[in-house]
Formats: sequence, structure tokens, C-alpha cells
Amino acid sequence: MLRPMDLIAALEGVVGSDRVRAHPLDRRVFAKDAGVKDGPVAAVVFPESAEETAGCVRVARAAGVPVVPRGAGTGLAGGAVPIEPSVMVVMTRMNRIVEVDEQSRTAWVGPGVINLDLSRDLASTGLHFAPDPSSQQSCTIGGNVGTNAGGPHCLAEGTTVAHILAVEMVTADGDIVIVGGDHPDPVGLDLRAVVVGSEGTMGVTTRVLVKLTENPPAVRTLLIGFATVEDAAATVSEVIASGLVPAALEMMDRAMVRAVENYVHAGYPTDAAAVLLAEVAGHAVGVDAEADMIARIAADNDATMVRLAQNDAERALLWKGRKSAFGAIAQSAPDYYLHDTVVPRTRLVEVLSQIYEIGERYGIALLNVFHAGDGNLHPLVSFDAAVPGELDRVMAAATEMVRVSIEAGGSLSGEHGIGMEKRDLMGLVFGPDDLDAQARLREAFDPDGVLNPGKILPEGSRCFDRAPTIGAAP
Amino acid sequence: MTWVTPWAPDRSELDSCVTCGLCLPFCPTFRLTGDETASPRGRITAMAAVGAGEAEMDERFFEMMAFCLQCRACEAVCPSMVPYGKLQEGVRAEILAADPKPARIARRMVLGRGLASRPAVHVASLGIAAAQRLGATRLLPGAVGRMASGMRTVPLPVPSTLGRSWRPDGEPVGIVGLLSGCVMDPWFADVHEALVQILRTAGYVVEAPGAQVCCGALAAHDGAAYDAARMAAANVEAFARYDTVVVDSAGCGAHLKDYGHWTEGGDDLAARVRDATEFVAHLIDEGALPTFPPGRGRVAVQDPCHLRHAQRIVAEPRTVLAAAGYEPVEIDEQALCCGAAGVYGLSYPETSDELGRRKADQVMAVDVSIVASANPGCELQMRGHLGPDIRVAHPVELYWEALSGS
Ligand SMILES: Cc1cc2nc3c(=O)[nH]c(=O)nc-3n(C[C@H](O)[C@H](O)[C@H](O)COP(=O)(O)OP(=O)(O)OC[C@H]3O[C@@H](n4cnc5c(N)ncnc54)[C@H](O)[C@@H]3O)c2cc1C
Ligand code: SF4
Ligand code: SF4
Repeated sequence: MLRPMDLIAALEGVVGSDRVRAHPLDRRVFAKDAGVKDGPVAAVVFPESAEETAGCVRVARAAGVPVVPRGAGTGLAGGAVPIEPSVMVVMTRMNRIVEVDEQSRTAWVGPGVINLDLSRDLASTGLHFAPDPSSQQSCTIGGNVGTNAGGPHCLAEGTTVAHILAVEMVTADGDIVIVGGDHPDPVGLDLRAVVVGSEGTMGVTTRVLVKLTENPPAVRTLLIGFATVEDAAATVSEVIASGLVPAALEMMDRAMVRAVENYVHAGYPTDAAAVLLAEVAGHAVGVDAEADMIARIAADNDATMVRLAQNDAERALLWKGRKSAFGAIAQSAPDYYLHDTVVPRTRLVEVLSQIYEIGERYGIALLNVFHAGDGNLHPLVSFDAAVPGELDRVMAAATEMVRVSIEAGGSLSGEHGIGMEKRDLMGLVFGPDDLDAQARLREAFDPDGVLNPGKILPEGSRCFDRAPTIGAAP
Repeated sequence: MTWVTPWAPDRSELDSCVTCGLCLPFCPTFRLTGDETASPRGRITAMAAVGAGEAEMDERFFEMMAFCLQCRACEAVCPSMVPYGKLQEGVRAEILAADPKPARIARRMVLGRGLASRPAVHVASLGIAAAQRLGATRLLPGAVGRMASGMRTVPLPVPSTLGRSWRPDGEPVGIVGLLSGCVMDPWFADVHEALVQILRTAGYVVEAPGAQVCCGALAAHDGAAYDAARMAAANVEAFARYDTVVVDSAGCGAHLKDYGHWTEGGDDLAARVRDATEFVAHLIDEGALPTFPPGRGRVAVQDPCHLRHAQRIVAEPRTVLAAAGYEPVEIDEQALCCGAAGVYGLSYPETSDELGRRKADQVMAVDVSIVASANPGCELQMRGHLGPDIRVAHPVELYWEALSGS
């Protein structure tokens, strides 16, 4: 066991003194992601290579201090928030696009590359990285891998896991390994799906081989307003039932639309009860027909307005509105808590009305935005955490909302991950055997709990609870 | 309670940051370092912690704040509309009040306050004019030398618009006030001249009231809040009689538009302020000024932060350039700061240089012979980094050349 001062000195030995921080203010600033909770930070380190990352992990391990990997810190589930004094390994400086292979449509990229930067950089090649979380202008590829991020366009393209071929990572022992390979279907156990979405608990990602997707030749984006949430939900169901696979299908309710419109001025109808943003992509002839079809289904369901974006600028503005949704709600209160559950599309209306009812019962301000196409709900609660008891009330309401989603046959997290926030709700979806199996899998990667401990799996997941081998730093 | 000045960051404004992180990639210092403590969100977190008495107001805190360019790019992209520029100005006032003044900020103060003093600027202008004529600007040390190498030749005698007025040839359609500015006046006299002549052509009487003072932007940015407030009050009075006040330095215009939180009656003046490109574009749109056929060539548009991010003026400089017959060329989708940032180069020469180099590379990449910039600081920085082969000019100068047939 190293003393705190020695830990800092040892980390400095790995990366140099200008890339290690331990001043109280630095520790404070790195204590939190975009969610609502913070945690204790022992030191912050900025590696610039896999070797340095491995060195940091080895030092932390020797010091008996856990490692918490961090990308841009836009996570919403507290994945990058330590629960005991930890070394924050910040990957933002490993932000190089190492190699692009246009032929095979793949690229090796550093974990700190910002999602949207990658697609922007690739613009001239006609390729892009398909997962497009609403935070894509800020979040990192490493974080996307960590949380198996989704986004509006994952309705047609699948979430991050469908776009990752290989992950180079530093293990809990400080070894550098590569999981997966450039073949879509590697021989033997395919561990990629285990590592993607593991929220930094199985390794620190130092390089990623991503699959690139061809830019669609034509895109049409429709903005549709409805007088009731039911009409909007019925439209979603009918669109999907028609066999059409829109590139994206997003819904916002009135409260959300008002907050967003106030910021972007994109012409969102602020009097509508619900708004759909639908996008189709493909060949020019096809997309026109598909857009027509969506417009017709919407009209049949009493849409109050249908607007086809006339050009790229208009399209971009509409998406900017949708993608600012989470940030925009602070206009009403300083903190937000964002839920992330999935419900079967057929039960959308029913679950929604239950969620509104819960909000009302707890007296909390509720705004709704969601990936309607795949039933991924994001009810947002805006509140003021500085008011005593407020956070507890919000969390209690959150738990109830998750419960109704699961009871309707849904799941715990659509895309943001489990982190520490929903960790203790895992029992709602998994029985003791399932949790035990997951805990064993994790132990296989990290038997001593060095990597981001206390995340995803609730305490006591392992059937015979082990004594912790890693203690908190003094 | 940590804070002691009336300018202190307001808790509810700090709280309006929901820590979403959407601003991070737009922040130049975060871009360069990947460091949360050099990001808008990190700085807001630090301010909130210090304000709540949960963190020390120490050297580390000073440094985190001083490293901020005050470019306000974060403010323009924040969906929660956090008033970052105001918060940062407030915290600088607190830092200055807190003492011990960190040397870095004190050094900037000399320049920030010096610029606000007319005699001091005059003496400096004479010195620079002499040095330019002797070819001695190259010998000036460090950051000062870099800035001086980007300067236009200062005319002798050192010019001033203060107290002057200009009438149109025909019957006037209106009257506008002109902000003379502290450095615009002696160092950028051609820009004033072009603007005045354009406004005369459109039928306006232009007056530069003699009672006006420096806008106070640099003082405010450096935390000299009491000075800034005094200057704001003087200008509110000096410009009381004008329905429109035109400003040809984006940094000054942005600050005047923020007078609401600096002095009584500030909101009222703020509502009457127009950037030069904003007003000229408006006159062009109205048909009060002509549009010339294309064919003058391509011009790269450098968006000054305090025009684009603070005043949210994007289309207008392009309108002016296009009306002058130029093809405006985009160089930077994100409009990242060029590193000039007032006198930032004196405190962080390396960061300033790195950003200046990046911006210059963006200009070189589009292969133009002219760059348009509507702010004096950016102009110096661009010229300093581009050298003499690429012309840097204010959009209204280019428009005036078309209008006057030169
Ligand atoms: C406004 C807003 C909108 C959002 N929209 C969406 C959305 O549409 N879809 C969606 O899925 N998410 C969304 N999110 C959540 C978040 O942006 C994603 O989870 C994103 O993938 C996190 O990336 P990051 O770089 O910020 O990672 P962080 O928040 O820093 O980390 C997230 C997790 O990944 C781990 N991690 C990060 N980097 C590494 C690495 N190199 N190696 C190992 N582990 C690592 C961390 O330990 C943590 O557990 C949104 C967030 C915000 C604030
Ligand atoms: S975008 Fe605004 S709300 Fe979001 S982190 Fe930045 S300052 Fe805070
Ligand atoms: S003002 Fe500019 S440098 Fe300062 S935090 Fe905002 S974006 Fe960053």
C-alpha cells in the first residue's frame, strides 16, 4: 500500500508531473459527470498512450486505489463518478484518429476522439460513425463504448456495439490486450459484446477499431405536431407496423418542445401536445415515397401540422433542437434527473400516462423526450437539488417510473447505462442467479475490483459475498 | 460568504448550469488540453464551489479562471443559457478584490487599465508610430513585439475622432453616435473613416461625442469592475441623445450591449447599440446602400468571438462582403477563438500563439489574399500570424472601397 503522496509521485513517474493533479479544486471538478451525484477523487491523471495508461493502472493497483476511467464526463448514470477515493484516468488526450481504412470502412481511433469530430473528419470520405447520441458533439468514443451508447439514428443502425470491431484495453493487471479483431465474426468467444457497455469495469479502453457507415445519398426530415400524445404514439406504431424502418423517430411532449424552442427557434409548434421528428434515409426516390407515407399515416392520425425540412440548414436546426433537449430544461430548474427506460412500443401510451401520473403525485416538473421508434423513454425531471429532500423525492419517483416500465415488459436502461444510479434496481430485472453469473464474468476480468468498482452490479450480487481485497485510500 | 463585491457570480446563474457538457468542444482551452478544469463546465463548478465556501479561493482557482479566454463560445452554445461571460467577469472582480493579486492578472491590469487612459494610449501611440518608422517594432520584447508586428502603421499626428461630426451631402435621414474607442481611434483610423463615409453616403449625420470614454471592456474582463462601471456610466450619459450608436470594434460593441449589468440606464443604451456590420448590413438590406456585382474575389471571414458568440452576429459581415462584390469564404465551422482575446497573449503567450497559428492555418487552407475581421484584437493577431502577404481588413473598409470606387 502506498501513501497518498507516494501515489501522486508514482503517477508522476509514469506520465510526468504536468499530467497528474491532486489539488482539492481539481479533485472537486472531476468528481462528477453530467448526472446528479459526485464522488471522492484521489488523483486525476491524463495518459497519452496505452503504455502510460497501463502504468497508471499498475500504480493505482499497487496503491490499493481503484481506477475510474473517464471520457468527456457526459454520462448520465454516474458511470465515471467514483464511489470511493479513486484515480480518475482521463482519456481525452488520446484523441487521435490513428488510421482510416476507406476500403474496408474501418478506423482505429483513440478513446478520447469526440464522436462528432470523427464523423466530421471523415466527411470527405463519405463515411461516418453511425451511433449518434444526443451528446455526440461532446462525448468520446471511449465513453460510447463504455456505455454502449445509442442515439436517434440507432433505430435503423443499431447501438454502439454493432459498430465496434475491436477494443484495445488495459486490464486490471495493467496488461494491454485486444478484444475482437478486424473480422466481423471472430473465431472463439466473441468478447466484444461483453466489453462494450461494461462502463469501465473490465478494462480501460485505449484504442478502438470502429466500423464506418456510408452516408446516405438522400435524407428527408419531417416535423409533425399532434393535439394528443396518443395520436403521436399511434403514428409511431403504425409507421413501424407498415414495415418502414425510419432512420430516426423521436418524440417530445409539450413541456419539452417549449423549452427547446425557446433556445433554438427552429419553428417547433409550441401548442402541440406532442411532436414527432421523423427521418428517412436512402436513395432519393425511395425517401420521397417514404416521407409521403409517414406524412399520410400522421394525417390519418389527426396530425395538426406536418413540415418537411426544405434544406440541410433547416434539418440541422431541427436536430439541434432535439439534441439540446436535456440541456434546455435547466431553463426551468437547476438540476435534472433523466430517466432512461425501454417499454414495448405497443404500451407506450399506457406507460406514459402512468409516468405523468407519478410525476403529478410527487409534485415534480416532468418533461418527456424519447426515441419513440424503439420505445426508449427519457422522462426528465427538473428540480433544485439544493432544496433539502428534493433529490430523494425525485429518486423515489424515478424508481416508480422504472418499475412501471419494467412491469409493462420493458427494460432498465435503453442506452445510458446502469452506473451507480440504477445499480440497486438491477434486482427488478435480474434474479439472483443472473446477477451471480454477471458478477462472475466481471470477476474473471477484474478479480480484485480495481476497475470502477461499485458500478452496474448491486452489492451482494455474488452469491457468496467476498471480502473486499481493495480498501479505500486513507 | 466568500464573495465581497456586488459583481460576484450569482448563485442562481451558476446553478443554471446543469453540467450537461455540451459546451466542452466549443471551448478553446478545453480543446487544447482535454482538461475539465480548463472547460466552461469545470470553471463554473469551481466558481460554485468557491462561492459556497466549499473550496479555497487560492492560486489554483485564480489560474483556472485566468486561463479562460472570455471568448464566450460556451455561452452561445449553452442550451440552458448560462450567462458565462457575466459570471467570469464577476469572478475576476472577486479575484482582484481578494488580494494577493496574482502577478499574471496584475500584469494584464497594467495594459487593461492603461488602454482606458487616453493620455497613456496617446503616448504609447506616439512611441509605436516612432518605432514603426525606425523599423524598431521588431526589437520590442516578447508578446508586445508579436502584437506590434500585427499593427497597422500608426499615422502621425495620431488621429482622433473625438468631438468631431460629419454631415451627409444631402438632407440628413438621421443621426448616429460613433464610439471612438481607446485603440480604434489612434490605431485603426481607416476603419472609422470608412464607416463614417459609408454612413454619410446613406444620409446620416455621424457624431463622436467628446464626453465619451473607453467602453471599459478590458477593465471588465480583467476584474477592474469599479472602473468598468464608472466608464459605463459616463458613456450612458455621453450617448443619451442618439437613437443608434454604431461600434466598429466587436469587443467594444459586445460590452456596450452588456451595459445592463454595469450601470443604471445601461439596458437602455445597450438596446440602441449596433455593430458596424450589423448596421451597414441593415442599410444594404433596406436598399439605403447599394449592392455591387460579384467579381472582386474571395475573402476569408474570421468571426471575432465577441461578434459571433457574444453578439450572435454571423450573417451580417457576410452580407456586407457580398454586397461589396466579394465571395465570403468560411474557414471555421466552430469559430474557435483566434487567441487574441484582448491582452490574453501577455498572460498565456503559448496558448495565444497556438490558437493564432491554428486560425492562420485555416486561412491558408482556403487560399485567399484577404481576411475580413471586425475586431481590432483579432486583426492584430491575424496579421501577426499571417505576415504581410495576406491583407487583413474590416468588412466595412472593403465595402467602402467598393462604394467609393477604389
Ligand atoms: C445532453 C446529453 C444527451 C445525451 N444523449 C444520449 C443519447 O442520446 N444516447 C446515449 O446513449 N447517451 C446519451 N447521453 C449520455 C452520454 O453522453 C453517453 O453515455 C456517452 O457515451 C458518454 O460518453 P463520455 O465520453 O462522456 O463518457 P463518460 O461519461 O466520461 O464515461 C461514461 C462511462 O464510460 C466509461 N469510460 C469512459 N471512457 C472510457 C475508456 N476509455 N475506457 C473504459 N471506460 C471508459 C466511464 O468509466 C463511465 O462508466 C447523453 C448525455 C447528455 C449530457
Ligand atoms: S452547456 Fe451550459 S449547462 Fe451545459 S455544461 Fe456547459 S454551461 Fe453548463
Ligand atoms: S469563455 Fe471561452 S475559454 Fe472561457 S470557458 Fe467559455 S469557451 Fe472556454
